Amino acid sequence: MQSFETLLSKSAKAHGHLCPGQVVGVRMAILGCRLLGLDNPTSIAQIKKFLVYVEMDRCTADAVAHVTGVKLGRRSLKFMDYGIMAATFVHLETGMAFRILSTEESRDLSCVYAPEESEKRIQQLLAYKRMPDNVLFRVQKVHVEVNALDLPGPTKQKVACSRCGQVVRDGREVIHDGKPLCRPCSDNCYFSAPQEILWPDMDWTPVNGANGTTRDKGKNKSSAY
Amino acid sequence: MLKKIRVEDAVGQRLSHDITEIRPGEFKDAAFRKGHTVCDEDICHLQKLGKNHLYLIDLEKDEIHENQAASILANGLAGEGITWVDNPKEGKICLYAEHDGLLVINKANLAAFNMVDEVMCASLHSYTLVKKGQQVAATRAIPLVMKRNPVERAAAIAAQEGGTVSVHVLKDAKVGVIITGNEVFNGLVDDKFAPILKKKITDLRSHITRIELVPDNTELIQQAIETHIQNNCDLILLSGGMSVDPDDVTRKGIRNAGATEMHYGAAALPGAMFMVAYINNIPLLGVPACGLHHKVTVLDLILPRILIGERIGKKELAFIGHGGLCMDCPECTHPHCPFGKGM
Repeated sequence: MQSFETLLSKSAKAHGHLCPGQVVGVRMAILGCRLLGLDNPTSIAQIKKFLVYVEMDRCTADAVAHVTGVKLGRRSLKFMDYGIMAATFVHLETGMAFRILSTEESRDLSCVYAPEESEKRIQQLLAYKRMPDNVLFRVQKVHVEVNALDLPGPTKQKVACSRCGQVVRDGREVIHDGKPLCRPCSDNCYFSAPQEILWPDMDWTPVNGANGTTRDKGKNKSSAY
Repeated sequence: MLKKIRVEDAVGQRLSHDITEIRPGEFKDAAFRKGHTVCDEDICHLQKLGKNHLYLIDLEKDEIHENQAASILANGLAGEGITWVDNPKEGKICLYAEHDGLLVINKANLAAFNMVDEVMCASLHSYTLVKKGQQVAATRAIPLVMKRNPVERAAAIAAQEGGTVSVHVLKDAKVGVIITGNEVFNGLVDDKFAPILKKKITDLRSHITRIELVPDNTELIQQAIETHIQNNCDLILLSGGMSVDPDDVTRKGIRNAGATEMHYGAAALPGAMFMVAYINNIPLLGVPACGLHHKVTVLDLILPRILIGERIGKKELAFIGHGGLCMDCPECTHPHCPFGKGM
């Protein structure tokens, strides 16, 4: 694994800024990998061996993902919307799983670990680098039952919604009166009142047209809706 | 797990913890020790102590008794020069100085330790001079029964960097002293600085190898420093010439002698014009004239730290600011006062 400072620098660049959450995330990822026995998590040999469940959508989550190489699109990164500064590292071969929580007291202890800094953000950033793991984190050994339909790899199951026909992958359909429904057709969906629309440049494509010119004729037209 | 029983029903049962008796201004100690078997005669005494019920303890696998917890905590907290006895009293273990020296508290460790729920440690101020056998800290687990995991985590936090509470032996340093000032060198006034510095040094069990009297002359101050270094001094103290007057050339003499690190100014009163410099890792302390007048100055805060081998730089001189104001009491009670205790 690369040095802490190198990982932090790269993670901050990918995230967009350096912040205390980045420091916590990078350290959380390093500790998680160490506990699972992964010394090079982004390598081909190790990248498919583990999953990470992040319990917050904050700077820390990006740092954990950057250092470990887990990605939503690879199904190796799972977002559990708990609002808790924690992440669980699961080894798919051994079944070992460790949940690492960022301690609340580490925030209060920043002034003790970096007393020379008065600006809160810089003080936290420096203090989180200095704190030992057992001050910055608590670790729980946990059991994670990983559903076969949650694993990385090709789609294992496809079902058509019995109401709208939408194909639903990997068992995410909802069974209602014995029939499969997609989530938008069920009562539990994050949006409501969907309406199909048409828009002016709906024939746009990013690749060049047959005559060699980019088809961008819709550009600068005012919106029709 | 704790089970509550009535005191009257406790005859024949063994006490699960010490029971403290307090008679204001007269007595505070364990009236009954853990393990004592309650007998008929104890019932009235216990009731007078306000105990109408007692706990019977049935520990779960992951639970420990406060006494066992206190031992684990003390073991983590104790660093170099600390001794303690594994015989908790009222759930508490005291840590003692194993020898004379300077108490050093790892304040980050201590703060992190005390942020763990249900454990505590209280200590004397860091950088207090202590005697062999003196109590310097105490720790306890707060509940009677607690989970083992947080106790062990707290102990691991406390054990970092060699422990949280340490007593360091003061080095017997060979100290070279340089008294600067034309008025002293030319015999216009008697030197009062050397006896003051000598007492401070010998009180800390170091010794003076030689005292040089030099005028306010950069070259001669430089030469005096070089002489002390050639004589293998571990520490050089320079008095006078630390102020802003044109005759104050001590700092220049130190620089010309090859100081690689110089920190002028300390956040303490008296002692703002104090200076710490290093030549080949040998510390040089520039003591301003306030050392002649005040019984205790910044020198008394810094000298013991130098003698345990601490490197004093800008940060260390800045951090003494909080609590670094002497109250200039008519009768000085230092070290039993706040001066230098706020770090």
